[in-house]
Amino acid sequence: MFPKNTFNSYLIVLAMCFGAIGMHSCKQKPLTHMIVMTQNKGDVESRDYSKGDKLQYMSGSRIVAMNTTTPNEPLDELTSDFYSACSPKISYDGNFMLFAAQKNQDDVWQIWEMNLHNKKKKQITSSDHNCIDPDYLPGERLVFSKEVKNKDPKVDTEFTLFSCNLDGSNLAQVTYDPSTYFASTVLSEGRVIAIGKELWPEEKPANFMIMRPDGTKKELFYQMEQDHYITSGATEMNNGRILFVEANSNNQKDLISLSYNRPLHSEENLTSEIKGDFHAISPYHDNKVLSSYRPENALHFALYEFDVESRELGRPIYEDGENNILEAVFVQKKQRPRKLPSEVDLNVKTALLVCQDINFQYSQPTDSTIPAFKASKMEVLGIDSTMAVFKTEKDGSFYIKIQADTPFRLQTLDDNNNVVKGPSSWMYLRPNERRGCIGCHENRELVPGNVQPLAVTKEPIPVPTPKQMDAPKRELKM
Amino acid sequence: MKSKKVKIFFFVIAFLGLIIFIPGRMFVRHHVNQKTAVTDHPLKCTSCHLYTSKNKIVSNLINEDYYSPFNIAVSNDGKRLFVVAQDTGELLIVDAESKTVVQKVKVGVHPHSVILDKTNAFAYVSNQWSDNISVVNLATSKVLDTLITGNGPSGLALSADGAKLLVVDTYGSDLSVIDLDTKEEMKRLRTGSDPTGTALSPDGKKLYVTSRRSKIVPYGEPLVSDLTQIDATTLRVDEHKDVEEAYMMENITFTPSGDLALMTLIRPKNLIPSIQVEGGWMMTHGIGVIDQNNEGRIIQLLTDQPNAYYSDSFDIVVSPDGKRAYVSNAGADKITVMSVDSIRAIIKETPKEQLKNIANNLGVSSRFVIDRISTGANPKGLALSPDGKKLYIAEQLEDKIGVLNTETLKMETAIDLGGPTRITVARQGRRLFNNAGHTFQNQYACYTCHPDNHEDGLVYNMAGKDMGRNVTNTQSLREIGDTPPFKWNGKNQTIYKQDGMRFSTVLTRTEQFSYDDLDAITAYIKRGIKYPPNLMYNPHGKLTESQLRGKEIYNRTKDNSGNVIPENNRCYTCHPAPLYSNLQPADVSTLAVSDDSILFDTPHLGNIYASPPYLHDGRAATLEEIWTIYGEDNKHGYVNDLTKMQLNDLIDYLKSLGGPEQEDEGYQEQQTASF
Repeated sequence: MFPKNTFNSYLIVLAMCFGAIGMHSCKQKPLTHMIVMTQNKGDVESRDYSKGDKLQYMSGSRIVAMNTTTPNEPLDELTSDFYSACSPKISYDGNFMLFAAQKNQDDVWQIWEMNLHNKKKKQITSSDHNCIDPDYLPGERLVFSKEVKNKDPKVDTEFTLFSCNLDGSNLAQVTYDPSTYFASTVLSEGRVIAIGKELWPEEKPANFMIMRPDGTKKELFYQMEQDHYITSGATEMNNGRILFVEANSNNQKDLISLSYNRPLHSEENLTSEIKGDFHAISPYHDNKVLSSYRPENALHFALYEFDVESRELGRPIYEDGENNILEAVFVQKKQRPRKLPSEVDLNVKTALLVCQDINFQYSQPTDSTIPAFKASKMEVLGIDSTMAVFKTEKDGSFYIKIQADTPFRLQTLDDNNNVVKGPSSWMYLRPNERRGCIGCHENRELVPGNVQPLAVTKEPIPVPTPKQMDAPKRELKM
Repeated sequence: MKSKKVKIFFFVIAFLGLIIFIPGRMFVRHHVNQKTAVTDHPLKCTSCHLYTSKNKIVSNLINEDYYSPFNIAVSNDGKRLFVVAQDTGELLIVDAESKTVVQKVKVGVHPHSVILDKTNAFAYVSNQWSDNISVVNLATSKVLDTLITGNGPSGLALSADGAKLLVVDTYGSDLSVIDLDTKEEMKRLRTGSDPTGTALSPDGKKLYVTSRRSKIVPYGEPLVSDLTQIDATTLRVDEHKDVEEAYMMENITFTPSGDLALMTLIRPKNLIPSIQVEGGWMMTHGIGVIDQNNEGRIIQLLTDQPNAYYSDSFDIVVSPDGKRAYVSNAGADKITVMSVDSIRAIIKETPKEQLKNIANNLGVSSRFVIDRISTGANPKGLALSPDGKKLYIAEQLEDKIGVLNTETLKMETAIDLGGPTRITVARQGRRLFNNAGHTFQNQYACYTCHPDNHEDGLVYNMAGKDMGRNVTNTQSLREIGDTPPFKWNGKNQTIYKQDGMRFSTVLTRTEQFSYDDLDAITAYIKRGIKYPPNLMYNPHGKLTESQLRGKEIYNRTKDNSGNVIPENNRCYTCHPAPLYSNLQPADVSTLAVSDDSILFDTPHLGNIYASPPYLHDGRAATLEEIWTIYGEDNKHGYVNDLTKMQLNDLIDYLKSLGGPEQEDEGYQEQQTASF
């Protein structure tokens, strides 16, 4: 029908088409039956996130992989060319792994990514300071903690949350207050939950804080009981529970479960009946999690399966006599979290904050003989000095325009400038962020009443800062 | 030689193809970018040119006729379900055991509710878009009679003696009392605005009617909705109760003992700058409890939780033993199961001064919510079997009746009504429109502010630039497909832009719609949302004498003194038929000090009677106020020479305006949308 040359040409074109289709369909399939975990010979007692002033990382640790179908075969060492490696996190497609590693003993920790199929690694961060605790963000990005040297001599170092592209570009700072942030986890709804601890002017207990990936709308997610401290990052289950490990005043480390829907009032200790310590957990199958557990009187943590519903600890999945088995993650494809839009505009240098009523109280005082101390002013405190004092509106509302990315605290004053309430925890607003609060309320489960604050009928009060409002932005470098 | 010719032929074809393809693609890219306001929307011609086609043949091909079950009633023996199929205008009779549809009875247009008489001899179906009730003889499964009602009949109740049918008229905002002997309307009682729900107390003495829209209040004052309490023996209004900071009270029910009445509601945050979703800053959803033992005080409780919202509470029923209440959360595809005893305990211990705060506490729901059960798409009406063991759920956009086993709290196999199995693009769009899943923490759906695809009558502080500026009156979405641009300032040239990236950044605050979903919701909004027929002011397609005089004024070119009215100051110039909008921006001199300096997009006027308040910031409570209070400078049409009678005529005419079809073809009963 066609001359031979033409026919051959068609054959070539067809072959190319099939080739292209074949290439397309040969996309990497997620690995199955693989658990990656951190092995460590050393003492893990010191891993305590409540001590936010120094790096608590596992020197000499390594990441290994085991095949759950052949548990007796030797483990596959994934990070043999590193002195230390830990904190594995798996990509949503199940093909890649983020981790923190030291190439050599005295190197700083950097973030790396590994293709789990061919074990090729690429370095993501090239920082002068330690970068740890990575997790994947939707949109080919990651969030991690980076050590920054604090200017205040009272605070040695702190870890600040940053995000960047998976190739290390487009670095963005996420948190801006004198607190330290560790162990971030990206929740399915798109926000980042991290352990946060205020360091200045005095250290406060660590809590779980939650924020959008751009750092906006940061708020308390879970508050520790007194004398308790968090020893692991948060893990989200498919049923909406948030799990983590918490140490009590006797230093027993248990698995704690929270309802995502009501985190401040839903704490359940899942392992109070189990003696021994838990170290870290991650989702496994159905209601089960992988947990690093060390029985009472045992020397090392081993890898166990734990059923969250029945609260039963299964048999060890893997243990060896020499190493702690820590931070185990089951390699599987999972739902990508939502990619939240960002209101941050770096061309804007300010942000807006409105408060409905600084005198708001959920519970009205029942004893009318006790005089009610009413605040009439607001003081905005910066790191070193007062940034502003202003009168609030008759309804107790205020509305300020404040320099972005600048930490501040709030305290209310009466007519005589006596402190009525405060100071608050550290806050910061991102460029162009707009934020609202109900008041200095004690009940964090309240929604605002449907009332227009008087303050927003006027222009916002500009809050000056010690720095020049127009100072050029510093370019961020790794 | 032949081979050479073939090669040349293919070369020429390829060359011509490239000549057409490269600039053609550039043109298409430019065109799509312009329409969508993004640069990466797929170049799918079908998105706009197929899914939103007005061609009837195309529309019939790409769309389906769904049943869209809306409300349900159950027979006394529990063997039969009576399902209102809103989109096909039918009452479906379902065998509850075999889970099959056994009869379909054609009723009126856009039916809303169904109620059975005590002996189950008759079913009464309210036909919201034909202003009547179909009386169905259940022995013959035929419509026996049609009873005339007020405008937009919806919720139904029978008097204790069964002699009177009490019909809530949504559009007329009243209650028709129909004598079932004479089949005539005896009287009409004034209710709150846009009512739907009604319930008779177990002793038959008290009837409540819930409203969905707030009273018109000046911007800045909290919204207040009306709960009408009627003496069911004298059939007189006892009291109009204020329900503060709440609206969309869709349905109401009594406990069997009659100690409580429970209604669904929404507590919107329209006065607060819409700067965040976190912390319930936009919408909260819950129930209102009317305590019969305490002078009918109203306690509001949120069914939401701190990080999870259950939007658009619709129906509420109480189990025969009075222990449990069930609420359908239409925007969350959930049933909320509640303990009535726990609600009683909360009410007992809550002092009066705490009522306001408890209504804003997201933590309280943990005390009375037993479970949340997932359902099919858009659960609306609920009905319990007589023994209370099964809860039937009208899954409107699933075309199924969900069945909840109330003992195990597990869903059983749903009843398939036999509608189309294909989910069309527009149907998917309708699902998205009604579902809060595309808002952060599911706090609200499009439907929440646009109930019945219309508007909720509220003015919102959308905090465009600063927080106290540019408050905006919610606009109706009915028949807006051909009236671009959108928003009050006309900044969005298409619905693609309106519901695109910026929409997610400033409003839904979660991941934006995928492009497939954006196609779907655009298709639905452009072509799936119809006007209800304007039976209130133009029932027969013929204008009254007053309306005819008003039409003359609307179209006049000279004032009462014979002076020529400048062309740009005539009504019809900016609001020409059939769309009643010239689609151009205009200055009508209503900018507030707190507004940015903008021109206003000229809105269409179809069914304008149903959209108070008026003007971009809702400052005009009535159409009259547009010109009596806010039109002194004659910039919003030349009207100041009009006499009071003339203005009345003009208003009468404006209220008669319906959709374009009504103007073009004269009135005809509208067919329901097939989406």
